[in-house]
Amino acid sequence: MWSKARAVRVLALSLAAYVLLVAANEGEFWPASIYPMFSVAGRPWTRALVRDVATVPDSARWRVTDLRGLPGRPVVLPEIGIDPIDFANFLSKTRTWDEDRVTGLRSLFTEDLLRTRQLMVYKVRGRLAAGDSVVVEATPFLLLTGDETARNPELPPEAYARDR
Amino acid sequence: MKGILDNLFDFGRTRDDTPGQALHFRIWELFIGFQAARYAWVWGWETLRITDVVLPLGIARYVDIGHLIGGPLPLVNAGLLTLLVALGFLRLVPRWPYVAAMALLHLQYATRFCLGEIPHSSNLVGMGLLSLAVGGACFRDAAAQRRFVWGSVWFFTGLGYASAGVCKLAATGPGWIDGRHLWLWMAEKASDTISKTGGFEPNLLQQLAADHWIAATAILGIGLGTELIGVLLWWRRTRPWATAALMAMHFGIGWTMNIFFTVFMAELVIIGFAWGGWLDRLRAARLPEAFLRLRGAI
Repeated sequence: MWSKARAVRVLALSLAAYVLLVAANEGEFWPASIYPMFSVAGRPWTRALVRDVATVPDSARWRVTDLRGLPGRPVVLPEIGIDPIDFANFLSKTRTWDEDRVTGLRSLFTEDLLRTRQLMVYKVRGRLAAGDSVVVEATPFLLLTGDETARNPELPPEAYARDR
Repeated sequence: MKGILDNLFDFGRTRDDTPGQALHFRIWELFIGFQAARYAWVWGWETLRITDVVLPLGIARYVDIGHLIGGPLPLVNAGLLTLLVALGFLRLVPRWPYVAAMALLHLQYATRFCLGEIPHSSNLVGMGLLSLAVGGACFRDAAAQRRFVWGSVWFFTGLGYASAGVCKLAATGPGWIDGRHLWLWMAEKASDTISKTGGFEPNLLQQLAADHWIAATAILGIGLGTELIGVLLWWRRTRPWATAALMAMHFGIGWTMNIFFTVFMAELVIIGFAWGGWLDRLRAARLPEAFLRLRGAI
């Protein structure tokens, strides 16, 4: 039988549980959420891109560029079984690039891919700048080749130690 | 408050659901069950590639989920969940299958999204499954379950959209609608699109927003306003209009930022309109009605 009082009570309890769970877990306890995405406007962001730079001269590989000036050929991450958002998070949220993290990054790519291509991993950063413009900079971060991983010689060591 | 509850649970109605209304519910239930199983399998396969927990979410903040990573357990979990939603949908086991399925899907989500990303694209399906779980556990009668579950789904969907709007006002304030913010997000999504497809070409709306601050501001203003009126899903009369506005907003998000919430849109189409009455008018519900009675779903 349909009991009004029971329906109201169960909904109230569900709402209370929902509120408690999101309050105790920084707004997220799937599927309960306060939906905070895009709440903080104007915040700088960091994403990631991969390019095959096998045909790019050494002198041009480590240049910071914008999205239009990326050298080499694009590497389409879903085509090689990598989720672009996971990849971007792995790159931006890793603070210390120790051997484990570098190995973890390399393990996302197949050995065949690493052997046949020269993969430049870019950190792409965007921010609002003076003059109502958006500045986007793609910084070469790691070069993955057959069995080597090279760091950008033009970046300070802190970029790989407590990176943010 | 009484008015909202009347609208959510249809307290004023004395007759039972028509065959069309019952069929409408079963179509939505099938949609939720199918999507829950699909997510479980997709997340299960994706988890096989994960080697490390970067950001524990949900239950993973309290229990160690490390043993679910690096082995076949996520796929076992997906198989169990598929079995549970099938048992729940076919009414082969009363009341509890959806509760167990909900727990397993939460675990699957927490395991899959431990790398730092907190996606919301599956939340509506999750809330649907949770409403089925709570409705099944707390109400024995099939008609009572249906009425509670619909009310719960409309309530939490409306609450979620309004909450998203309130979060923006709380975190940034009314200045959130400043068009420059959209420019920054569009650049971010352009980077994602290059990573995903190899290139990026702005469409007409993106070009318009990029060239005219006022257009970008208007887009954000309309988006924020639409989220805030999400609570209109709570009232029967405004529900279809609020649904149409939310769907338009999702199209807008897709065209400006390349974020397509396809499952959200599909679910809005099912829950936002009075399909039951239309099914009755088309007499389309007659054949399935016999099946539903046989299965004890009416």
